[in-house]
Amino acid sequence: MTNKLHDHGDHFLATPKAEPFLERLIFNNRALIILIFVALTGFLGYNASQIKPDASFERLIPLKHEFIQNMLANRDDLENLGNYINIAVAAKDGDIFSEDYMETLKQITDEVIFLRGVDRAEVKSLWTPNIRWVEVTEEGFQGGTVIPDGYDGSEDSLKLLRENILRSGDGRRLVADNFQSSIVYAPLLEIDPETGKALDYRAFSEELETKIRQKFMGQNPNISIHIVGFAKKVGDLIEGIKSVALFALVTLVLALVLLFLYSRCIAGTLIPIISSFIAVIWQLGLLRLLGFGLDPYSVLVPFLVFAIGISHGVQIVNQAGAEAAKGYDSLTASRLAFRALYVPGMLALLSDAIGFLTLLFIEIDVIRGLAIAASIGVAVIIVTNLVLHPVILSYTGISKSGRKHAQNLEEKVDKKWVWMSYFSHPSVAPISVLIAIVGTGLGIYYKQDLKIGDLNPGAPELRPDSRYNTDNNFIISNYSTSSDIMVIMVKTEPEKCSTYPILRAIDRLQWRLENTPGVQSTGSLVTVSKLVTKALNEGNLKWFELSPSQQVINSSIQRAPSGLVNTTCSMTPVVAYLEDHKAETLKKVVEAIQTFAADYQNESFQFLLAAGNAGVDAATNEVIDKANNQMLIFVYAVVSIMCFITFRSIRAVICIIVPLALTSVLCEALMAQLGIGIKVETLPVIALGVGIGVDYGIYIYTKFEKVLLEGKSLQDAYYETLRSTGRAVAFTGLTLGIGVFTWIFSPIQFQANMGLLLFFMFIWNMVGALWLLPALARFLLRPEIMVAKAKAAEAALASGQS
Amino acid sequence: MKVMKPFARGVGAILLGVVLASPSWAGRAGDVLESEAVPSDMAALSLLLDVEKAGSRLVAVGVRGHIVYSDDDGKTWAQAKVPVQVLLTGLSFADAQNGWAVGHGAVILRTRDGGLTWEKVFDGNKANSDVIEAARRLVTELEEKVANASDAERGDLEYQLEEATFAAEDAEADSEAGATKPLLDVWFRNANEGYVVGAYGLYFGTKDGGESWQYLAPTLPNPDHFHLNAINALADGTMFIVGEAGQIFRSVDQGATWSKMESPYEGSLFGVNGTGIPGQVLAFGLRGNAFRSEDNGVSWVEVAKEITETLMSGTVGDAGRLVLVGNSGMLLVSSNGGQTFGAHPREDRMSLTGALFLSADRLLLVGEGGVSVIRGIAQLN
Repeated sequence: MTNKLHDHGDHFLATPKAEPFLERLIFNNRALIILIFVALTGFLGYNASQIKPDASFERLIPLKHEFIQNMLANRDDLENLGNYINIAVAAKDGDIFSEDYMETLKQITDEVIFLRGVDRAEVKSLWTPNIRWVEVTEEGFQGGTVIPDGYDGSEDSLKLLRENILRSGDGRRLVADNFQSSIVYAPLLEIDPETGKALDYRAFSEELETKIRQKFMGQNPNISIHIVGFAKKVGDLIEGIKSVALFALVTLVLALVLLFLYSRCIAGTLIPIISSFIAVIWQLGLLRLLGFGLDPYSVLVPFLVFAIGISHGVQIVNQAGAEAAKGYDSLTASRLAFRALYVPGMLALLSDAIGFLTLLFIEIDVIRGLAIAASIGVAVIIVTNLVLHPVILSYTGISKSGRKHAQNLEEKVDKKWVWMSYFSHPSVAPISVLIAIVGTGLGIYYKQDLKIGDLNPGAPELRPDSRYNTDNNFIISNYSTSSDIMVIMVKTEPEKCSTYPILRAIDRLQWRLENTPGVQSTGSLVTVSKLVTKALNEGNLKWFELSPSQQVINSSIQRAPSGLVNTTCSMTPVVAYLEDHKAETLKKVVEAIQTFAADYQNESFQFLLAAGNAGVDAATNEVIDKANNQMLIFVYAVVSIMCFITFRSIRAVICIIVPLALTSVLCEALMAQLGIGIKVETLPVIALGVGIGVDYGIYIYTKFEKVLLEGKSLQDAYYETLRSTGRAVAFTGLTLGIGVFTWIFSPIQFQANMGLLLFFMFIWNMVGALWLLPALARFLLRPEIMVAKAKAAEAALASGQS
Repeated sequence: MKVMKPFARGVGAILLGVVLASPSWAGRAGDVLESEAVPSDMAALSLLLDVEKAGSRLVAVGVRGHIVYSDDDGKTWAQAKVPVQVLLTGLSFADAQNGWAVGHGAVILRTRDGGLTWEKVFDGNKANSDVIEAARRLVTELEEKVANASDAERGDLEYQLEEATFAAEDAEADSEAGATKPLLDVWFRNANEGYVVGAYGLYFGTKDGGESWQYLAPTLPNPDHFHLNAINALADGTMFIVGEAGQIFRSVDQGATWSKMESPYEGSLFGVNGTGIPGQVLAFGLRGNAFRSEDNGVSWVEVAKEITETLMSGTVGDAGRLVLVGNSGMLLVSSNGGQTFGAHPREDRMSLTGALFLSADRLLLVGEGGVSVIRGIAQLN
C-alpha cells in the first residue's frame, strides 16, 4: 500500500502532523530550549569530566565463548602462565661475559625484584639464586648457582660462569643463542598481596621505563634494554591513547578552517562546532552515567560523533544560508532549514544509530561498548544538531558575507557541477554502471585474501616499528622462545591429574600437536616427568620416557612447577608454543586438539580449550568469523528498511544502497591487500561506514526527488541537487574523512587501521553517492511516472480534503 | 660390599619396596606395548638412541616406537612399521635381513626384512613372569638344599634362602606394576644367538633367533641387580656387559659363564667397545670417564680426559679411528685406537647417543635432534 503523501514527495517518519508540531514546539520556546540545553550540558559535562579510562583485559575477549568460559573457570589455577615480563639486557659490543655487563645485570636484577607488582621469589636472572647448574656425579647430584662462588669479575670467574651456564638448563634459556644478551624474567602478581589492589599497568610500565630502561641505559652506554610482556604492552597502549588529545586538537582546527571556507560566516563556523562539541560532552556524560569507561576503542567514538555532528550542522548552515540569501530573516531561515532537513537528517541519524547497534550482535564487550557509545552519540546529535543548532542559528543568523557567499553560489553557474551533472546523462550512466560492476568484480576477486584475525607477529595492537614490537623482535630472534601460547586444560577427577593413563593421553596429544604445522614445541607435566626421570637416571637419554610406574611418575613430578598441577590435582595444563597467532595457524591447532579430544577423552578426563593468548585469539576469531556476515546482513537490512519506510520506493532504496555495497566490497578488498585482517577493531568499520555513508544517499535522494517532482529533466534535476545538497555532501564527506584521518598517525596500530579504513569508507561512500547514484537513477527512476503519480496524489489529496 | 648407590638405583629400590597403593596399571600400560607407532614426518628428527647397518641400509631406533631407515647413506629417511609406541633404546643386526631392537616395557622387536617391518617377540609381562619363575625356582632349590644340608652349611644356606624368598616377593610385587623396566641394549652374534640387557639386572638370551628367550640374569654375578647398560663383543668373541656403579662383566666362553672384572671406576658405565686392535677394549660412561684395557679387560687405565660430559656410545672406523659420543653434543675422536682423544663438541650441544662411520670422512650421528651426518671427520684429531 502506498501513501499518497509519500508519492507527493512529502516524506515523514511518524505522522505528517508531527513535524509541524515539533517545529512549533521548538521555535516558539527558543529561550526555554536554550536554557534546558545549558543546564543539561552543565550536568553531563560534569559527568563527562569524571569518566575513567578502562582497559581491562576482559572487555577485549568474547566472554561467552566456550574457550573463554573454560579459561575463566580455571583461571585461579592458570595464573602465572602468561603474566610476566622479560627484560633482555644486551651487550652492544662483545658478549655478556664482561665484568661491566655482569655488574649492570646484577643491579638491574635487584631493581626488578623491588618493583611493585613483581612476584619477587620467582624472578629469574643469571644473578638469582634459583638459576643453578646441576650435574650428575658418582656420588649423586652436584650443583650450585651459575654465578660461581667467589665471583670477582675476573677472567677466570667469567670463564667459570660460561661453563656453568652451558651446563644449566635454566641458565641456558636465560641467555641468547649468541651470548650477547641475557634475560631478567619477572612474573607479575595481578593483585598486590599487601594492598589487595589490582596491578596498575600504566604505573608499572612507566616504572619499567624510568627505573630500568632509562636509568641503566643512561648509566651504562654499552648495554641496551628490551622489554616485553603483557603488562608492558598494555602500558604502551595506555600511553598511546594520550596522543588522542593531539588528534582532537588537529581535528578541531581542520574543522574550523573547512567550515569557514564553506560558509564564510563566523556563526556558520562556530555554531556547528559548538553544537557538535556539546554532542560529544553529552555522549561522554551519558556514557559515564550508564557505567561505562573509556577504552582504547571507545575513545575514538567522540571523534566520530564530532564529525557526524559537523556534517549535519553543515547541511543546516547550507540550507539556512540559502534561505537567508532569498531574503528571509534569521528566524524564518532557520525554521525553513529545520523544515527541509528534519526528515532526511532524522532518517540519516536513525540509520546511523541502528547501524551501530547491529554491532551488539558481537559478544565482545569492547565492540558492544563501541556500539553503545556510538549509538548514544548519534542519538544525542539528533537533539543537539537538529534542535539546538537551528535554534542558536535563529538568533545569530547567517552573516552578511555568508549570505553573499550563498547568493553567489546560487546565481553563479558552477562549471564543476554542470560537468558532474553528466553522471546522470544517458550516455555516461551506462559507463558508470559498467565501471561499478567491474569494480565490484575486482573487489570480490581481491577480497578473497581477506583473513580473520591477526596477520602479523608480535603485538598487533601496536605499530610494527613501535618500541614494543622492536623489542619483541629482538627477543624472538635471539631466544628460542615463543610468545604465542595455547593452553589446553586437562580436567580430571580430583587427585587423578597425574595418573599414568591421563599422562599417557597427554603425551600422545603433545606428539599430535608437535606434528601439527605451526606448533614449535609443547610442554606439560609429562615433559617434566620425562626430563626428571632421565635426570634421576644419571642424565641417560635412554630413560627419557614416561614410566608406567605411578611411583616413578610421582617422584619425577614432586618438584614440578606449581602451575602444572592445581591444588586438588584435578587439572593440569598442556602448553603449546606456536610459531605465530595467524588465524589459519590457530584454526589448525584447534582442529587438531578437538579431533584428538573426541578420540581420547571420556567421562573421567577432558581436554578443554583454551587459555593463553593464542587460545583467546582463537576464540575471538571464531566469534568474529561468525558475527561478520550476520552483522553485514543486518546492517544492510536495517538501512534498506529505513530508506524504504521513508521513500516508499524500492527503486530509491536501490539507488541509495548499491553505492554503499560497492564501497563495502572495495573496503574488504583494500583490507585484504593491505594485510589487515577482520578482528575486533576492524569489524565495526563496515557497520560504521555503512551507517554513516547512507546519510549521503539520503540527503542527495531527498533533494533529487524534490526537484524531479517539480518537473525538471533528470540531468537538470541532478544539477540542482549537486549545487545545493551535493555541495554539502561533498563537504560532509571531507569533514568526516578528516575527522578520522588523523587517527592514521596514532601510535596504536588498530586506531591507525580503523582511521584508514573509515577514511576510505567515508570518502568512497561520498563518491558513490555523487557519482553512482545518478547513474543508477538514470536506469531506475522514471520521472514522468513520478510526476504523474505526484499530480494524481495531489489531486486525490485535494479532493479528499475538500 | 656397600657401593655408594647413585640415585637411580636409590629411587628404584625405594619404589620396589613400597606396596602399591593403587590397583595394577599393568593392563593400561599395555596400550603402548599394543599400539602401532604413529607415522610422523618428524620421526627422523626426534630423539633417536641407536643406529646400525643392515647391509647397505641404515636403521635407527628412538622415541615413541620410531624406527627409521635410509637406503641412500643417510640423505633421506623413511619410517618402518612398528607394533609398539615405547622408547626404543638399542638395536643389533646379525645380517642384512635379521635385526632386533629393544626398549622400554622390556620389548624385543624383530625384523626379517632388513628393518622395514617389525614384530614384537617379547615384552615386560613375559619378562616379569620369567623373573618370578626364576626366583621361585631358586627358592625351591635352596629349600631342598637346606633340608639336606649339614649343620655346618645350614646357617649360610638359610641366609641365602631368606634372601631368595625376599627376592621372589620383590619380583611378584614388581610385576604388579606392569612392564615398567626397560631393556637398554641388545647384541646378536648371528641370526640365531643373541642377548639383551636392561634395568635392574635384566638379562635374557635366545638361541633360536628370538622365538624363545631365557632369563640369564642368574648366570651373571650381579646380586644387587645393578642396571646393565650395554652389551658388546670384541672381534675374538670375548663378550662384555657394563653397567651401573662401574660394573664390568666378561665372558670368554660365548656367554656360558660370566666373571665380574675389577673395575677402575665406581660411577656408571654406559658403553663398551673394541678399538679395532685385538685384545683392546674401551669402557666409558658418566662425566667423560673412559678406560682402556689392553689385556682383554683384566686391567684398565684411565684415558686422559678434559671433559665432563657423559659418554654414551662408541664406534670404530678404519685405521685406528675411533669415535665416542655423549651428552651435550660431545664428540671424541681418536686416530690411534683410543690412546688419545680430541674433543670436538657439536655446536648445538644436543646430546648424542649413537654414531656410525659412513665412510672414512663421514660420520652419522643420532641423538636428541634425530639423525645428522657430519663431514671432515678424517681431519679431526
